[in-house]
Amino acid sequence: MLLLAVVLGHIVLISLQVNTPSGVRLFEGVTFGLFSEVQRGVARATGGVTGLWDGYVGLVSVEAENTALRRDVAQLQLRLQQERAVAQRVRGLEELLEFRSDVVYSTVSARVIAGDATPYFRTVTIDRGTRDGVRRDSAVVSPDGVVGRVLSDPGPRAAKVQLLVDRSAAAGVLIERTRVAGTVKGDGAEGLLRMEYVSNLDDVRVGDRVVTSGADGIYPKGFEVGEVEEVGPGSGLYRAIRVRPNVAFSDLEDVLVIVPDATASTTAAGGE
Amino acid sequence: MKTAWVGLTLAVALVLQTTVAPGLAGAGVPVDLVLVVVVLFAISSGPVGGLWVGTVGGLLQDALSGGVIGVGGLAKTLVGYAVGAFAVQFNVSRPWYQALVVLFASLVHAGCFVGFYSLLSDNGAITSYGGGVTQAVANAVVGGGVATVLGAAPAALTRRRLRRRRLTRRFGG
Repeated sequence: MLLLAVVLGHIVLISLQVNTPSGVRLFEGVTFGLFSEVQRGVARATGGVTGLWDGYVGLVSVEAENTALRRDVAQLQLRLQQERAVAQRVRGLEELLEFRSDVVYSTVSARVIAGDATPYFRTVTIDRGTRDGVRRDSAVVSPDGVVGRVLSDPGPRAAKVQLLVDRSAAAGVLIERTRVAGTVKGDGAEGLLRMEYVSNLDDVRVGDRVVTSGADGIYPKGFEVGEVEEVGPGSGLYRAIRVRPNVAFSDLEDVLVIVPDATASTTAAGGE
Repeated sequence: MKTAWVGLTLAVALVLQTTVAPGLAGAGVPVDLVLVVVVLFAISSGPVGGLWVGTVGGLLQDALSGGVIGVGGLAKTLVGYAVGAFAVQFNVSRPWYQALVVLFASLVHAGCFVGFYSLLSDNGAITSYGGGVTQAVANAVVGGGVATVLGAAPAALTRRRLRRRRLTRRFGG
């Protein structure tokens, strides 16, 4: 009898969410809010231990690494100057053609403090929330490319991020070389993405770079997603395309959240 | 007192699940620590205890994950009840047996979870057969380990107490 009552309760709870997500927001919000504080504490403690190790014990090969990094920085500075020159020229051409210049996004840096509570979904918790301007559906990126989007209403000091590899995540994308549009969807377990709705007639090759198209209204246009790893004939009119994401989702530590207005461009990852 | 201990154990399992387990999952070892706690508690307390711990643990886990709230709760409720009912009928006191129960309970849980989600969405199976089996084996290893430690702890405590008593008797004090 008790089992039946509890099972019925669960079914009602699930049914409420299928129609509208509002029924369980309070429960989800309170649980997430409480646990995110615990997760923040655990992340800080483990971060402290890791920092101690990295800062003192693991400094054996720093000299060689430092030299290599200095060389890389010099090369990157040179490349930055070249890119600046190219950007200036493009801006000039845009003005000439009366194009509207691209929007510069405000970002908030955030630290990943926890993963998903089940092995079935691919979400992470970040240490930034509504206080920092993070909203539902805010895009989350990293220097390597698109990470995901903020799922549900974030808490004041933490937010849940659905990774692009989650099985229910998707994004509008383009093949950079040919501008062929499609949608990438997460594949869950394998950490790959499926690119869908690309016609069998379109030109797509292994190694093509995939970038966001901006068509979904969440991810801004032009951010890197990954590289085409496999192209095959699909079952119908569309090709079966597998994309390897640029972001290493298993090792995520710091990310950038794109916030709607110029709330901030803070840099202290996880710092107050 | 017992409720507080169960709550604390579930909270610790959830914190570990969100901080340590994702790293293990990244290394190809997906573990569901909350399920392990539910199963081990259901073995020791019976169907009603298993049902409540499954409900609370599953719902909390749902609230912290990216899925529909109630699906994990329902799956863990059923598993908690079934394991509790099984443990009442059969002797599963040895850690080896408990690991086996965790293995089968994990497979049943995966079946329920995948089944409920396939009713709710048409995005395909939430995990593969291989993924479900890998998770079940990982859960069984963790469950067996925890059961061994929990089984050995009272014996070790009793041995230490006896040794202390013997020393006290011999040398006085």
